[in-house]
Amino acid sequence: MTTADRVVVGLALTLIAWLYAAFWTQGKGAEVAVLVNGVESQRLSLAQNQLFEVAGRLGTSKLEIKDSQVRFVASPCTGKQCIHAGHLKRGGEFAACLPNGVSIYVVATRTEFDAINF
Amino acid sequence: MKLDFLPCDEDHRIAKLAALAIGIHVLESAIPSPLPGVKPGLANVVTLLTYFLYGWRAAIWVSLLRVVIGSVIVGTFFSPTFMLSVSGALGSLAILAAVAAAGGLGLSPIGVAVLASLAHMAGQFAVAYAVFVQHPALFALLPVLMTAALVFGLVSGIFTQKVLVRLHRQ
Repeated sequence: MTTADRVVVGLALTLIAWLYAAFWTQGKGAEVAVLVNGVESQRLSLAQNQLFEVAGRLGTSKLEIKDSQVRFVASPCTGKQCIHAGHLKRGGEFAACLPNGVSIYVVATRTEFDAINF
Repeated sequence: MKLDFLPCDEDHRIAKLAALAIGIHVLESAIPSPLPGVKPGLANVVTLLTYFLYGWRAAIWVSLLRVVIGSVIVGTFFSPTFMLSVSGALGSLAILAAVAAAGGLGLSPIGVAVLASLAHMAGQFAVAYAVFVQHPALFALLPVLMTAALVFGLVSGIFTQKVLVRLHRQ
């Protein structure tokens, strides 16, 4: 193995490390956009743990931001699909309480998904 | 002027090397791979040996013959797999020609194999992204593919090195 070989392998390892850093990390500065009846009403940063409430058609939906993830905690609907959507943390992720007209959408510097189907 | 259509020594040599490469390629296609597009690529050892023993032009012949005839035998001729195979081969051959033009750059077979392997994977990925899957999520696969390319490039390079040492000893 010559010196030139070591240089090539070294450069290759640097390139690969950079590729992992660039494509396997989450987008920073993530926020959650809260939409009521399809219109954005507020944006909250995912960096701060908090519980907040959003008033909708049927009543108040409770949401929680914790560990850079957001989720529905309680909602006045009957199906509770919004709660079952679980934790959202990646850019582009989306959950909604349709009966109540409340939806949340994670906005990040890099959007991972164009659309999500269930 | 006498026309000569009989095969010369160089033709025989390339045919034999290509046959060896095709044989290895077809046998290797029987081995299942954990991820699409990731295989040890042992037939590339023959391409590298050709490059070091007989030059980059012979290596181009052996490589392209192997890709085309190998895909005909395996049954993927002109399929998307074939397109990716050709683009990878062209990428690695371009690097081989560049290294040859630069006078070898002081690289042993290991270094050349690593460069060719990374160029192969890069060429394949570029075509896969441009033609087949234009989704940016494909880039999440790139680090894994490049890691595999580095590992198998090192393996092929070491094999080539060992074979060359044995051949020179004879």
